[in-house]
Amino acid sequence: MLKKTSGSDDGHAQGHDHTHDPLEEGAALRVRALEEIVVAKGLVDPDALDSIVEYYERVTGPRNGAAVIARAWTDPEFKDWLLNDGTAAISSMGFSGVQGEHIRAIENTDEVHNVVVCTLCSCYPWPVLGLAPAWYKSPAYRSRVVREPRAVLKEFGLEIPSAVQVRVWDSTAEVRYLIVPKRPAGTEKMSAEELAQMVTRDGMIGTAAL
Amino acid sequence: MDAIHDMGGKQGFGKIPLEDDYIFRADWQRRAFALVEALAWATPYNTDQHRHAVERVTPEEYLRLDYFENWIIASETLLKEAGLVDRSELETGLKRFDIDRKKHKPVGSKEIVEATRAGAALRFPDDTRPARFAVGQSVRVSKAQTAQHTRVPGYVRGKVGEIVSDEGVFQFADAVAAGKGPAPQHCYNVAFSAKTLWGEDAEAEDRISVDLWESYLEPV
Repeated sequence: MLKKTSGSDDGHAQGHDHTHDPLEEGAALRVRALEEIVVAKGLVDPDALDSIVEYYERVTGPRNGAAVIARAWTDPEFKDWLLNDGTAAISSMGFSGVQGEHIRAIENTDEVHNVVVCTLCSCYPWPVLGLAPAWYKSPAYRSRVVREPRAVLKEFGLEIPSAVQVRVWDSTAEVRYLIVPKRPAGTEKMSAEELAQMVTRDGMIGTAAL
Repeated sequence: MDAIHDMGGKQGFGKIPLEDDYIFRADWQRRAFALVEALAWATPYNTDQHRHAVERVTPEEYLRLDYFENWIIASETLLKEAGLVDRSELETGLKRFDIDRKKHKPVGSKEIVEATRAGAALRFPDDTRPARFAVGQSVRVSKAQTAQHTRVPGYVRGKVGEIVSDEGVFQFADAVAAGKGPAPQHCYNVAFSAKTLWGEDAEAEDRISVDLWESYLEPV
């Protein structure tokens, strides 16, 4: 199995990518034909295609999750709420919707490090993290992180001490998981806004520490 | 369904492709995602049926093709099965027959964002069904196999774990994918020790948590 890896990652590769990968060209043609036929049949309004992509690229994304985490670090009552009823606490900040109807927040501690996967497809909490990066959907991540999480985390540059337990959360049903990373030391005086800048997407998946 | 999509614990896939840190790297992927999302509102099939259609992509294609191309193949399969398009139309993009537009209304650009923001009701009140299992109880995952859509990953089949939490009553994906309606039941978070799953190969005393519907579980 060859996973396509190289290529421009700027999100605007079309027209500038001269690699002429036959797989890419076949896929692009296939998608164009499908779009043409479903628009011709009246099944899809082309404006809806633009608006849904814009929604995911501009309105959702890891900065939503980062705002939730930073608030939890600075507001103990909110943190309790988040850990007990993630869906309600997150929704109170205006983040909700498809693939985030039921969100459970799990806290990293000195004793436990948590990491999230979907071994069956690519389930991911879209309203708080946006759409999943390609590596999260890769066979290597999905197959290995439940079997050898420590080796996988090491590839991300994260070495988990043997005294710390690793817990892997496989998103197999309707609950989506958001990891609450440990607050970095020396940030006691920082505001929630400043803290949010420190929270990374991978920290909220559990493949990075902050 | 016991197919290649069920990847947990499989070996040989190599290093994590950390360089693939993009959501879309080509515009066709963006269009593919949008098409799948928009089609969902005008077609008779549901998300779990789309998942099952992805699982029905041949293992060889599933691994060789891009993630979003598999999504598109699944949509093509479901549109053909619903009689909304034929093979020639999919190949050429040219319409050969009309469909009943009153039955299949496209979602508008405002409407799709509102519906996405609202999400779907997947959960039912906790007392819709009595809970068969309690937190702390040991359970064994059913060994039953099916060619239909299911959310039991192969790596926990027949294994014993502990109920960590009752997540509440949810629509049952297996039933929804089979077109049998929501068939709500309790869904539990079940934790397995790494040694239970991987034997002496386990890296440490770690824990793997899996969300499993009640139908999948048997008391120990």
